[in-house]
Amino acid sequence: MANSKDLVKSEGGKLEKVRKAPVIVPLVDIFENDDEILLYAEMPGVVKEDVNVNLDNGKLDIVGYRKMAKPTGATEWEEFSEVEYRRRFSVPQTIDVSKVEAELKDGVLQLHLPKSEAAKPKRIEIKAA
Amino acid sequence: MLTGWNDIDRMFGAMDLFRSRMDSLFNDFDTSYRKVPYYLAGENWPRTNLFDAGDNFTLVAEVPGMSKDDLNIIIQGNYLEINGTRKAETPEGYKVHKSERGTASFSRSFTLPADINADKVEASLKDGILEMKLPKAETAKPKQISVK
Repeated sequence: MANSKDLVKSEGGKLEKVRKAPVIVPLVDIFENDDEILLYAEMPGVVKEDVNVNLDNGKLDIVGYRKMAKPTGATEWEEFSEVEYRRRFSVPQTIDVSKVEAELKDGVLQLHLPKSEAAKPKRIEIKAA
Repeated sequence: MLTGWNDIDRMFGAMDLFRSRMDSLFNDFDTSYRKVPYYLAGENWPRTNLFDAGDNFTLVAEVPGMSKDDLNIIIQGNYLEINGTRKAETPEGYKVHKSERGTASFSRSFTLPADINADKVEASLKDGILEMKLPKAETAKPKQISVK
């Protein structure tokens, strides 16, 4: 059911679970205007060193790993824990990959995907005959 | 149809297993991240963790995209309430393709296991995680009892 990522070490036949972080889907907002596509992905608690944005051949992968600070006492309840945020999108081929910008602010990844010049809509002037 | 005690026992065993699986199924439904959008589960947003360090509690909450002005925290005795509004961040002039993050205002309240000294509460917000240090009221702190 849950898609969890297990890293197991095998030591002399005994399997040891080293790390287990469920993989979940970050919620996103996607906007578009004539110049760019804008994507906001919610990844609370992720720092920029643990974020990976990959754009390859029309596929965009965003991955963020959220580590938790050490618990400061006995746990009364725990509703969120260490997770991996992962989501994949198809993007139009008309994105200018060299101009992509990413910013991580307040746990929200903000991705600007500018469209290449050729893809921007152009107004055609109609000359009077 | 002669059935031994063994068979009846095994049947009950299977039913117990089924029942415990069904119970945990509903638990998972409530706390699972996979049920998109869990954010709209009403009572359950934002997700929090609570730790008890003897003299104080630490409450950690997931509040992505919020700045400190968007949050409102109220404490009375052992009652803690977190209110706020998720802003609609739709930029001007953009067409919306997908909008999962939601913009509703939220309110979540807790009854903590002990009373809090509201004057000494410290709260910090970083990377979308709100961390609150809640010192317990003097009467609620654990005390060492010496046995004569």
